[in-house]
Amino acid sequence: MLCGALCVLIFGPRPEPAVPPDREHDVVIHYWEKWLGPEYEAIQQIVDDFNNSVGREKHIYVELMSMSDIDQKTLVATAGGVPPDVAGLWDPMVVQFGSLGALVPLDDLAKAHGITAADYKPVYWNGSHWAGHLYALPSTPAAVALFYNRRIFQENAAKLRAAGLDPDRPPQTIDELDRYSDALTVVVTDARGNRHVQRVGYLPMPPDYDWYVTSMPLWFGSDEWDERSRRFTLTDPGVIRTFQWMESFPRKLGVATVSEFFTSQGGFNTAQNSFMLGTQVMEMQGPWMANYIHHNNPSMDHDWAVAPFPTAVPGLKNVTYCPFDALMIPRGCRHIPEAFEFIAYVSRQDVMEKLCMMHCKGSPLSKVSWNFLHHHPNPYIWVFEELASSPNAHMTMQCPIAQEAGAELTAIVQGVLALEVDPIPALALAQARLQARFEEFEKARKRRMRVAD
Amino acid sequence: MTRGEIRSLLKGLAFLSPWLIGFGVFMFLPIVLSMYYSLCDYNLLQSPAFIGAENYRALIHDGIFWKSLRVTLLYAAISLPAGLVVSLGVAVLLNASVRGQAIFRTIVFVPSLVPTIAAAVLWKWMFNQRLGLINRALGPLLELLHKSPPPWLDQSAWVIPSLALMSLWSVGNTVIIYLAGLQDVPRELYEAAELDGAGKRRQLWHVTIPMISPVIFFNLVMAIIGILQVFDTPYMMTRGGPNRASYFYTYYLYDSAFTYLKMGYASALAWIQLLLVLALTGIAFWSSKRWVHYQGK
Amino acid sequence: MKGGREKFWTSLATYAALVVICALAMIPLLWMISTSLKSDSQIVESPPRWMPDKLVWNNYRLAISSEWAHFPLWTRNTLIIATLAVIGTTFSSAIVAYGFAKIRFRGRGLLFTLMLGTMMIPFPVLMVPLFSIFVWLGGHTPIQWLGTAKPLWAPSWFGSAFSIFLLRQFFITVPDELSEAARIDGCSEWGIFWRIMLPLSRPALSVVALFTFMWAWRDFLGPLIFLQRPSQYTLALGLQTLQSQHGSTPWNQLMAASVLVILPVLALFFIAQKTFIEGIATTGMKG
Repeated sequence: MLCGALCVLIFGPRPEPAVPPDREHDVVIHYWEKWLGPEYEAIQQIVDDFNNSVGREKHIYVELMSMSDIDQKTLVATAGGVPPDVAGLWDPMVVQFGSLGALVPLDDLAKAHGITAADYKPVYWNGSHWAGHLYALPSTPAAVALFYNRRIFQENAAKLRAAGLDPDRPPQTIDELDRYSDALTVVVTDARGNRHVQRVGYLPMPPDYDWYVTSMPLWFGSDEWDERSRRFTLTDPGVIRTFQWMESFPRKLGVATVSEFFTSQGGFNTAQNSFMLGTQVMEMQGPWMANYIHHNNPSMDHDWAVAPFPTAVPGLKNVTYCPFDALMIPRGCRHIPEAFEFIAYVSRQDVMEKLCMMHCKGSPLSKVSWNFLHHHPNPYIWVFEELASSPNAHMTMQCPIAQEAGAELTAIVQGVLALEVDPIPALALAQARLQARFEEFEKARKRRMRVAD
Repeated sequence: MTRGEIRSLLKGLAFLSPWLIGFGVFMFLPIVLSMYYSLCDYNLLQSPAFIGAENYRALIHDGIFWKSLRVTLLYAAISLPAGLVVSLGVAVLLNASVRGQAIFRTIVFVPSLVPTIAAAVLWKWMFNQRLGLINRALGPLLELLHKSPPPWLDQSAWVIPSLALMSLWSVGNTVIIYLAGLQDVPRELYEAAELDGAGKRRQLWHVTIPMISPVIFFNLVMAIIGILQVFDTPYMMTRGGPNRASYFYTYYLYDSAFTYLKMGYASALAWIQLLLVLALTGIAFWSSKRWVHYQGK
Repeated sequence: MKGGREKFWTSLATYAALVVICALAMIPLLWMISTSLKSDSQIVESPPRWMPDKLVWNNYRLAISSEWAHFPLWTRNTLIIATLAVIGTTFSSAIVAYGFAKIRFRGRGLLFTLMLGTMMIPFPVLMVPLFSIFVWLGGHTPIQWLGTAKPLWAPSWFGSAFSIFLLRQFFITVPDELSEAARIDGCSEWGIFWRIMLPLSRPALSVVALFTFMWAWRDFLGPLIFLQRPSQYTLALGLQTLQSQHGSTPWNQLMAASVLVILPVLALFFIAQKTFIEGIATTGMKG
């Protein structure tokens, strides 16, 4: 056995040399990304394009690596003094890492490359700033809307009409959403008296399945954080209404029934997603769903349509939540100008549209080509583009402890959907806790600034 | 000191030098730094800022700290006694069987060899609500009783009992230790007890257990120290959920340090952990005077 | 014969209980192997079967060669770290243990108690400042610590308290006459240690080597904190990464990966069974 071990040691695999021999004298840029599968292949193509064009000219070679838990790993690596040169993170990191001083500000570099606010949709440009500085540039954006199964609507036209609803159009208010959902939900009781969901109209899901469910208050006209007063607003009536509305679902259908429905879900991008199985008629998703539907259940390709997700406030329209993937340069990067060359390349309109079409997402840029709108894998991409440009497009809360807030809200959503938690006291508790944490954070930040002086 | 004593001292220190250096750099220095950090606000990206006992004050008011402590203690309350009974019971059984003892012993031991991460993956699969072996095996029985399968890892009330149940699978190495202890008990004591008319059960209670009480004590202390450091399993299986029901103390410490980069706060948590270990060990030592019986002492 | 019959039934009950216990111990492992050889559709079938229709060895190939699994690389990394840790611990602990056992000097007792005390210090207390120290070393010395595997094996070259303790207990049992004779012959202390003590202590040294290897193979928190790139991961960390990467878990592949992680340890056990069991028994006893 000892000999075997020695053999593995001597002849075994080595970490492959990542840089091809003819590029050995180039500046090597380490680029960490979070994606896997087809999304990973898409960005690999962009990286290859760069290496063969601008990279060759300017003697820069980008090495792409996929990492799990990328935000945490990047933070620890930055703190440890061994960060990647470019990190593909998410927009909340702009605030979180920016406020910790872990990112390199990109204002001057962007200006030198002629990249300005006019190039981007406001929600994405603003989301890339913190405390007046640009810390990131968007790579692939998100926007969410209502996906609904038109075929099931038509199949149940009679039932819908009997409930006073129109099967030829989607719900436009939360109230209508509830009524459409009630009409389309089918629950069966088995021999032992247990209820099972055969089909549900609409069901808000815990964050492991629906990762934007914690931003639901946006459709109720509320937000969880007020930037101007720098306070959490979890006890606002709109927020409370949102969680009470979420609570109404397990109340109506039964906790065990709902819980069973959740655990029988696979990931949202798999064939076990309830929308794809037809066991859920309406859901909130992003443009990428078109790709996953086509990949996992192509027979459904013409059954679905998209509309702006309904709101609970009369007159409030075109609300959407716009998180995005973004490229950032961690502090401690030793090749900042070269790293930015790559980021600037990705931000070119032709390259960006190529990447976003491969990912089946919208474009963060303000100018969008005819080709993009008409050859996009998602025929409803124009809905998402309109939503992302609307004044009611919201970015992630610009709070430095957004991550902890997210964790608290996630716990509350999980508890509410399991009927283990009463929204009003839970929100009040979270409000007090988070506000205290934020004040503590601010105090510490000011103290650190004084120490640094 | 005499010349001879000085020479011995130098020789001794020379041989001890690897440990002395190691202790200095990898133990003593970190402990001192840890104490210092616990009094600071430190996120590794900027230099530490001294804030006195602020971290400790925040700790007392931190609901998550108390929650993680409760989770850890709840787990200890279940797995310590259960583990003791099961491992001792298995050891007694092994000791009684004469034929094939080696084979049985080996089989019982193997699960404790499995690296914690692999065991976590395996048991996560076994606990799976729909497809897991446990629910499928219990299925027919539950049908009879008209009950639905327990939610195991998916519900707050069931997570800790599930993890405690899982820990019983790998008691193998404790069993070996108890077995060795049992085999050390002099036969004469059993024979004397039998002459006195004591049945198997009374022999167990009055002869076996007192005789191996030092071994029980040792295992208890090791187990306490171990439970306060449980991390791999919840990190792998439940990520501390659902709703922090399996958020063990060390997991919270790790998160504070490496997810939230609150190194100062994490150091304060670590010191509390150290104090707890010392306190619990101290209590164990003190109570040992009452029930631990050392042979020939 | 009343006694005989009673004895028979007790024996039977004991054996029956032991069989049940062994079954409970083995079933999870067998189930793991069974799942690892099933096809995707067979995993979800109901009722579950033990033997898959056809053995899908492909699961193992997939587990090893998927893009984000660098299994062969991880095995090599773990092997290197474990080997370095074993060599370092065994030698340094033996040296220190000899000092504690065979050389009488002032303050020996105190230092020994101190060393024993360090066994109680939980790793989490040390991990934050150690991280900080390694960052500082990386910034102020030419050697990079963080981002390499050094933090995982270097400290063991300075002795591990547990191993020192075990070896010291063993050295004490070696009669002093042997060393006395060598000393009279003019042998230096180091010579006695190297030429007389070490060869005699092979059984104890193998226990130390074995335990250190097992510990290094299973260590998770250490690699999680100190290793920064997937190409440096150990098997334990790699397995966890595999599990967290996939949106929907391919259980058969995960089980295959787990089997691969466990196999070397099991193999080692069966080869060195006696040493293992004796080693564990002695730790409990001497404790």
